[in-house]
Amino acid sequence: MKDMYILGIESSCDETSVSIVKNGTEEIATIISSQIDVHKQYGGVVPEIASRHHVKNITIVLEECLEKANMTMDQIDAIAITYGPGLIGSLLIGLEAAKTLAFIYNKPLIPVHHIAGHIYANSLVKPLTFPLLAVVVSGGHTELVLMKDHYQFEKIGGTLDDAIGECYDKVARVIGLEYPGGPKIDKLAQEGNDTYKLPIPLQDDSYNFSFSGLKSAVINLSHNEEQRGEEIRKADLATSFQKVAVESITSKVRKAIQELGIKNVIVAGGVAANNGLRTAMQSLTEELGVELSIPPMKYCTDNGTMIAAAGYFAYLNGRVSDLNLNSKSQDTLK
Amino acid sequence: MRVLYIDTSSCYLYSAIAEEDKILDSVAEEYGQNLSEVALPRIVEMFNKNNLSPTDVDKIIVVNGPGSFTGIRIGITIAKVYAWSLNIPITTITSLEAMATSSKEEKHHVPMINARRGYVYAAIYDKEGNVIHKPEHLKWDDLKKEIDQLEDKEIISNDEFDWEIEKNPYNPDFSKIINTYKEKESINPHLVNPDYLKLTEAEEKI
Repeated sequence: MKDMYILGIESSCDETSVSIVKNGTEEIATIISSQIDVHKQYGGVVPEIASRHHVKNITIVLEECLEKANMTMDQIDAIAITYGPGLIGSLLIGLEAAKTLAFIYNKPLIPVHHIAGHIYANSLVKPLTFPLLAVVVSGGHTELVLMKDHYQFEKIGGTLDDAIGECYDKVARVIGLEYPGGPKIDKLAQEGNDTYKLPIPLQDDSYNFSFSGLKSAVINLSHNEEQRGEEIRKADLATSFQKVAVESITSKVRKAIQELGIKNVIVAGGVAANNGLRTAMQSLTEELGVELSIPPMKYCTDNGTMIAAAGYFAYLNGRVSDLNLNSKSQDTLK
Repeated sequence: MRVLYIDTSSCYLYSAIAEEDKILDSVAEEYGQNLSEVALPRIVEMFNKNNLSPTDVDKIIVVNGPGSFTGIRIGITIAKVYAWSLNIPITTITSLEAMATSSKEEKHHVPMINARRGYVYAAIYDKEGNVIHKPEHLKWDDLKKEIDQLEDKEIISNDEFDWEIEKNPYNPDFSKIINTYKEKESINPHLVNPDYLKLTEAEEKI
């Protein structure tokens, strides 16, 4: 088969990103325009402000990506686009751009689920082997996805309330760390000791997670210490919190590996950058003799590369859309 | 010279393709929530019906606001990506200019869009189209004081308001809009952006 170059566009949250990937595995060029500094002053992503930046950035990011790849649009074989889930106003900018390019250059338009993108970030590192368990952990998602073959997704469990990244950011706020606080907790957790007692959530027979109880426990603990006039030992609290949060993930992953005959575990999403989780997943998979893939840091945050990579396998699976494609703020991976 | 016109700033999709002084095809339909789904397909239908390809356009005129924030961005994104990719000259006009230009009345024109909570997006033009009050996000009470001074005027709007006013509906005159603005100076597609006339709530609070 002839080589296939896919242009991937991602704009589901606060990053405008465009990338060109060859055959779903080889990154040719990627540009990411992050708005993190814009949203910092508001303590989180403001959807309307994010949309306003996407529309300003979109053609600039497209142009820089093509220049970096030293390619023209005529050399692109298909356009892959994150259609959802995400912030609707943000998604729409990428969507309209992708649809317009598909019309102008008469190229196939490939809709990609954001989580499929995070999973396929791994195919840029090494080929996926099946059956595969994808541990999707980010600010908006905490899911276990079973894949028996390429582009066959079966969600076997997920969070019943908060996403793990969301929980990290909220706990960070409670102990006075600046947004985005998740990575700061991970860093602090390397320095402290596990001295605070926190409950391990949802020790049941499902593949589901729950983080709101853990979050409340940290808030209450911090509140009680404050009332007693005691200072919170931030590093220790970060260590204790991280230990419990990571354990609640690994215990369910262990169960899935043992029950479903998993050969390859991949960790995907923004929280895949978390050192505590990476280390724990490494020792778990070594113990059980399963292959582990964790994408390099640059593929953990939102990017067009993973969308273009997933787009290739989606295309091989016949997932092509007409120009009526719309964005969806929520959608199940299937 | 072929001109593509796009206005998605309201819950209507207004789009047209003109060839010299003739309108080859146009769309003026209410879509509301699924504008993002249908805007491009409707534009593509005009191309297909008239056997035109994307490269057959010599100029794009796109409305950059004021109006629905999400709506404006849909039209602007289509237009700027189109203009950037094929290097086609592009220019922007405001929704209020389009409304005033389409009027058939020999009066002062006051195009007006409901911005809620007692506010409107509006402008005032004299009958030759000269700007008397440039597009602004302002309190209806303040605008009312100003237009009460004008002898002959018409308010143009398709919106409903919480107060009683006499208004004429807006029906775009594509031929007039395109002829008035097709020679307007082109701008770099990267700089074709919405002009919301209003900060976001988060920015206002800071």
